[in-house]
Amino acid sequence: MAETMDEKIKNYRTAPFDARFPNTNQTRNCFQNYLDFHRCNKALSTKGQDVAPCQWYQRVYKSLCPMGWVAKWDEQIENGSFPGKI
Amino acid sequence: MLLTIRKQLRSHPALIPLFFFIGGGAAMSLMYLARLGLRNPDVSWDRKNNPEPWNKLSPNYQYKFFTVNMDYSKLKKDRPDF
Repeated sequence: MAETMDEKIKNYRTAPFDARFPNTNQTRNCFQNYLDFHRCNKALSTKGQDVAPCQWYQRVYKSLCPMGWVAKWDEQIENGSFPGKI
Repeated sequence: MLLTIRKQLRSHPALIPLFFFIGGGAAMSLMYLARLGLRNPDVSWDRKNNPEPWNKLSPNYQYKFFTVNMDYSKLKKDRPDF
């Protein structure tokens, strides 16, 4: 499994099993990937690197999260009222 | 109170297994609750100093006792930033 990130994103089917969240309730998995996507964007863009690897997190949270939550969080980020730490 | 219990046990010794089983059951439930509170990857006790403790687990970490179809020798996906 030594594919590069680009290949993994291209062959993406669905969110893989995450040992950090083994139970039925995947809420935290969804939120964690959403946070990780934004943190990854922030970290890589401050370092000046290409943010393409962060697409992985976006694909995963889009698979897991209800659209209503994603819309709400995106709106909160634009307002500046997002409760998570990015 | 323990003295009363001891006196009653001496006159009815058949009650001793009762104490063992009930005590054992209570101990097992308390241990399970403690495991759930302390080891469950979903909980976070100290949000200021140790937020998101689930991120410190290895990708092979198995919390559940029985896993039917899961082979826990997978690898992590894409962490090399922050």
